[in-house]
Amino acid sequence: MKKNTSHDTIQDAGGRLLGLDGVDGGRIRGLLESAKVMAETGGMGGAGEAGEELAGKTVGMLFFENSTRTRMSFGLAVQMLGARVLEMEAQGSSLAKGESLVDTALTIESMGVDGLVVRCAEAGGAWMIAQHTKCAVVNAGDGRHEHPTQGLIDLYAFAHAHGRADSWDLSGLTLGIVGDVVNSRVARSAIAGFTTLGARVVCIGPVAMVPEAIRCLGCEVERDLDGVIGGMGGGMGGGLDGVMMLRVQFERHGGDGLRNDGAGRLDYRTRYAMTVERAARLGDGAVVMHPGPMNAGLEIDLEVARGEAGGGRSLIREQVAAGVAVRMAVLEEVISGKNV
Amino acid sequence: MSSILITKSRVLDPSQQLDLQADVAVSQGLIQQIAPDINPHGFDQIIDASGCLLTPGLIDPHVHLREPGQEHKETIETGTHAAIQGGFTTVCCMPNTAPALDSPLLIQGLIARANQTAHCRVFPVAAGTINRQGSHPAPIHALADAGAVGISDDGDAIFDSSVMASVLKACADVDLCFMQHCQDPTLTRNASMHAGEIATRLGLIGWPREAEEIIIQRDLTLNRSVGCRYHIQHVSSAGSIDLIGTAREQGQPVTAEVSPHHLNLTHEACAAPDGRSFNTNAKMNPPLRQQADIDALRHAVADGIITVLATDHAPHALHEKQQPFASAPFGIIGLETALPLYAQALIATGLIDWPKLIELLTINPARLCNLDRLGLGSMALNSPADLTIIDPNLTWTCTEDQLAGKSTNTPFIGETLTGRAVTTIVQGQIVHTMLPIHQSGQPSL
Repeated sequence: MKKNTSHDTIQDAGGRLLGLDGVDGGRIRGLLESAKVMAETGGMGGAGEAGEELAGKTVGMLFFENSTRTRMSFGLAVQMLGARVLEMEAQGSSLAKGESLVDTALTIESMGVDGLVVRCAEAGGAWMIAQHTKCAVVNAGDGRHEHPTQGLIDLYAFAHAHGRADSWDLSGLTLGIVGDVVNSRVARSAIAGFTTLGARVVCIGPVAMVPEAIRCLGCEVERDLDGVIGGMGGGMGGGLDGVMMLRVQFERHGGDGLRNDGAGRLDYRTRYAMTVERAARLGDGAVVMHPGPMNAGLEIDLEVARGEAGGGRSLIREQVAAGVAVRMAVLEEVISGKNV
Repeated sequence: MSSILITKSRVLDPSQQLDLQADVAVSQGLIQQIAPDINPHGFDQIIDASGCLLTPGLIDPHVHLREPGQEHKETIETGTHAAIQGGFTTVCCMPNTAPALDSPLLIQGLIARANQTAHCRVFPVAAGTINRQGSHPAPIHALADAGAVGISDDGDAIFDSSVMASVLKACADVDLCFMQHCQDPTLTRNASMHAGEIATRLGLIGWPREAEEIIIQRDLTLNRSVGCRYHIQHVSSAGSIDLIGTAREQGQPVTAEVSPHHLNLTHEACAAPDGRSFNTNAKMNPPLRQQADIDALRHAVADGIITVLATDHAPHALHEKQQPFASAPFGIIGLETALPLYAQALIATGLIDWPKLIELLTINPARLCNLDRLGLGSMALNSPADLTIIDPNLTWTCTEDQLAGKSTNTPFIGETLTGRAVTTIVQGQIVHTMLPIHQSGQPSL
């Protein structure tokens, strides 16, 4: 009759991918290598055909928050591995009728699924489900906390662009993450993943978006994007090998943050947007990334995003393209235990 | 009503500066005699309390008993059962119930309900504003007459300065303390834990110290011309200590309480055990802060800036705590683990001694809520025989099975603790004991 207050420690390796923070480099490199094989061969089924890696398995998609690219990308990955997809509609779901996150997950698990892909508007949602289920669990984004498959996608695209897709060793390279870091699950996963593989990560933005406390994640903090791009600010020296432009999430800022009005948008754009002019000053080898969805014209100019103007090379399409292969690698690993 | 003799204990009564080896005799529900070697002949019950402390019954001026309206979390019966197991003979319950305790009838109803079901004394604290909305002052004079022993909108601060001034004046009129829950709501929107590294790592919205300090600063300014007895609930921030200390030096009528968890845990408990978890049993309001805050709070007790200890016992059901961190409610239970946790933070560290700790758990909270006028918090002759026997060296492990309340939302499950209330006596009745009692008429063993 008494309640469960005990803690099961979540295994980082095998069965779960809840975040990149704390995941060792060997596992990350293994997942990236698997993703490369998936991308090059299309997996067991060959290019464009469904394989049998997870034949007979079922993956439940628990998207408690709206998503387009992540959901479609995971759905395609499940099908390419030969597994069944079980979809849940958040609207009109048992959750909307008052059932808890955990009980909804337990219900779906009881139907006999082998893995759950969880998207949740709150930090720790996937973690909490993993505490109470035995099947594989992949975090597909939880509030402001982590989005580990997006982090792997960013690593994959960045390593390819810099010729590191064999060693998966990013030492000597510097990634600038620009903008709304404090509200970004993508940034938290990227900081963990990039630093684990040896890269230097510099977060650049106003105090309301890049507080000093962010340093505890293992990154550096700068305020002056132009100075960093020019290689003059903050002792940067060599400029940036890539910039990740984050979506400004005004809706997540409280009253003391940046405001979504003319003044707030003008302030942000003046100092931190990747404009055509600013992109022109990026170094030759530098890449431009954005996890999407974009506020084109706010944090990034459309011409830069599409690679039609400015310097640097837009990796945005490559990021999306890598999504299916990376998610195939992750699902195969957590469900069948396979890690190259 | 039976007579009781408690022998061979160290008797501590800070209200009379008593600290001696003695026996204590109780009859007719009152303290009859404190002296060495009282003749045991004729007593109905005899307790050998060798090696133990005997103190006035402990008083907790800040608990949530959840009646009326939230009985799935706790009731007066279950909450006071937890209280007597923890050594408390008196608790003051907060008015953030459903409905809030904002009318004389509700206060009278609460008292009547407690008279029927409580295991110890229960005194209600009434709301300062109607429905705790912070916009219209409650009928504070009438609430005092109905039996409220303090006024508070606990769970929320009264944010409107003019309403606050009005409430402070009314409290001063009737000589009730006003207990403020110090939280600027505009700085804590969607916040769920201390603004620091752990919140940053977990992606949770941070709750800054300033949210507490700003309210304290405003209230101290407002109260300068009013002079109400102003009490700060569950202080959490080192900066608050500076403000309170300065105000007390200036002679302002301000007091403060601190909880067992704020004296013992940092924000790291929210991510325990591996630094990447989301432990909702460490989610509380105000949030657990950092080691520097713990150090400041502990020293503030030693320095006499904090003069009251309070658990903020806040039961929540499993389905409420088993939610994503930001959605889970704030608060943990505390009555049964309070005593050893206070001892761990304050005595084991050498900051204070047992007589000082007992002062903060008896006569000081009694004075805060005017309960000293009823003789509570003291072992003066002919005062009510509310007594606690404490074994300061008893080591025990906190398990869910031992908890008497309805809920088990505490991060201290599995902790090994030292010190425990082994007997609790209310109005001359033994309501909890782990010691053998020799009953008269039975042959001695």
